[in-house]
Amino acid sequence: MKKYLLKRIVTAFGIVLFVILLNYVIIRLAPGDPVRIMAGFDNPSQELMDALTKKYGLDQPLYVQFWRYITTLFKGDMGDSYLYNQPVSSLIFERVGASLLLSGVSAVLAVLIGSTLGLYAGRHHGKALDRTFSGVAYMLNAMPSFWLGIMLILIFASTLKWLPTQGMVNIRKGYTGWAYVVDVLQHMVLPCATLVAVQIPTYFRITKSSVMQVMAEEFVTTFRVTGMSERKIFNKYVLKNALLPIVTVFGINLAYVISGSTLIEIVFSWPGVGVLMYRSISMRDYNLLMGVYLLISISVAFMMIVVDLIYAWLDPRIRYD
Amino acid sequence: MKILEIQDLCVTYIAGEKRIKAVDHVSFAIDEGDSLGIVGESGSGKSTMAMAMLRLLDPRYTEITGAANYRGENLLTVDPRRLSELRWKDIAVVFQKSMNSLSPVHRIGEQFEDIYRVHEPKASKKEIRERVEKLFAMVNLAPRVYNLYPHELSGGMLQRTSIALSLLFHPKILIMDEATTALDVVTQGQILSEIKKLEKSIAVTRMMITHDLSVVATSCQKIIVLYAGQLMEFGYVRDVLANPRHPYTEGLVRSFPSLHGKKEELLSIPGSLPDLSNPPQGCIFAPRCPYATDQCRAHRPEPRHIDDLHVAACWRVKGGIQDA
Ligand SMILES: Nc1ncnc2c1ncn2[C@@H]1O[C@H](COP(=O)(O)OP(=O)(O)O)[C@@H](O)[C@H]1O
Ligand SMILES: [Mg+2]
Repeated sequence: MKKYLLKRIVTAFGIVLFVILLNYVIIRLAPGDPVRIMAGFDNPSQELMDALTKKYGLDQPLYVQFWRYITTLFKGDMGDSYLYNQPVSSLIFERVGASLLLSGVSAVLAVLIGSTLGLYAGRHHGKALDRTFSGVAYMLNAMPSFWLGIMLILIFASTLKWLPTQGMVNIRKGYTGWAYVVDVLQHMVLPCATLVAVQIPTYFRITKSSVMQVMAEEFVTTFRVTGMSERKIFNKYVLKNALLPIVTVFGINLAYVISGSTLIEIVFSWPGVGVLMYRSISMRDYNLLMGVYLLISISVAFMMIVVDLIYAWLDPRIRYD
Repeated sequence: MKILEIQDLCVTYIAGEKRIKAVDHVSFAIDEGDSLGIVGESGSGKSTMAMAMLRLLDPRYTEITGAANYRGENLLTVDPRRLSELRWKDIAVVFQKSMNSLSPVHRIGEQFEDIYRVHEPKASKKEIRERVEKLFAMVNLAPRVYNLYPHELSGGMLQRTSIALSLLFHPKILIMDEATTALDVVTQGQILSEIKKLEKSIAVTRMMITHDLSVVATSCQKIIVLYAGQLMEFGYVRDVLANPRHPYTEGLVRSFPSLHGKKEELLSIPGSLPDLSNPPQGCIFAPRCPYATDQCRAHRPEPRHIDDLHVAACWRVKGGIQDA
């Protein structure tokens, strides 16, 4: 097991390195020039553009730039953002917490609610409540997340004025302590509700079909014919068998927890990594974009290992040695 | 003494618009200590009959009429609590697909424990383990199987595990549904001889469902021949196999040359099972029967007695004498 884990970590490291290279090449091959954007579009001066190019080392051949990027990266330096004129690491560091908070809480709520409903629907397949849930899940699934977010803002923030429209805190009030926590929670309600609503259908569907599949397994008949109660059969045996696919999907969703909510972060002006990524793309902020992508690839690689470990723990048929 | 009496059992599967008559007016009775083989080609309703008796069929998709009297109680109508009591303590089953008959993600011992506690809630871990290991020894399984997961066992070991599980409470009736079919011939032979040995030490009435006549010939006293959900012939194995009175049984026997010892041309029965959602009018076997007459095609024969026990559902059987 230890050996397997070590192997996985080494492989993950290699993959992340490869992804860095790939990202670097793709970003540089994409059209657009950060210097032109920084210098402004109307009548930029050639001197300014030359100076900027030199300052960020963009005059060097690509492989030299890449080598420089990698070597400084290994020293823990992700370079400076062109756009914010700050170290990329501190920019990301400031915002990663906000993203983790919003997406993490949403992911956990979505898996809890979605799979609980799915468990019920799978167990009582064809009954009225199952049909209701399935219909709602279908509807939610068809809804674009940003549209749902905007609708929620329109209803609960603009019209009813129950909740704030955007941001994570009320900057003007400058709350501290307990009041700050409450303030953040209030700001979180709408973006979190949006994210949960759009993620529920996936968990619902996966759980429902997984439960139905397991319920049709031979061993359920065995337990029934021994006189075991339906409740015990479901709560102990069906549940654990049905859990595996949910774990997979949850793990994949968690892997994208840092970047997966970009659209919603933008709609709600949530000060997370998503907004950072969006702006770095539109402004061709190479270093910042590389930094965000690096973070994403590390979190994906990490979560994949975690999912495999959970899998091995849940399913004795999988043994890694 | 009669231990189980099936009366006029009918099972219809409702699949959308279709109504599939999988078991059609089957009646028979078996005595305590009997071993009964239930044979018939695949699709003839053997499993359905067992599942119906045990009330394992989903009432939403099945229609069951008739009675299955176990020591005077009709299994089809007893209230669910009583049914749970009877299950496994009185009637136990070994299914064909022993690969999947236990949960793949729980240890075998844990599952045995839970099943044991269904009927003995206060049993201690140690007590259960001792009992199970004793059963394991009876079916030639090592004690360590207790701590393994199903996927760590071979097909034969899994089948033995299923048999051990079925014997957990010394059931009065043991139903084995194609319990040895999926195994290689050697393992199948071993398990069959183990079962016969077991029966010397524990009193159990066995119902052996199989499509393999040789299994019945070597391990059962009585035999039921099912065809398309209907009872074709019932009697002692020695009578039925040596002197089959129903043309279908005759065909079955003839397609197992090993039963005669001498090599005979393998004569399978031409044709296939009728569409059970739209069965023919007269005798269900008439379309494949070499002796079929107009009477056969028009009217369904009731099972007729040849002697006290031996019955066959064929017009050719007449008051104990068979027309040539
Ligand atoms: N769940 C079901 N729904 C509809 N038809 C079924 C179902 N199970 C079995 N049948 C049909 O019932 C008939 C008897 O099947 P089965 O009892 O499994 O036969 P056997 O065990 O003798 O092979 C077959 O025609 C089969 O197609
Ligand atoms: Mg069958």
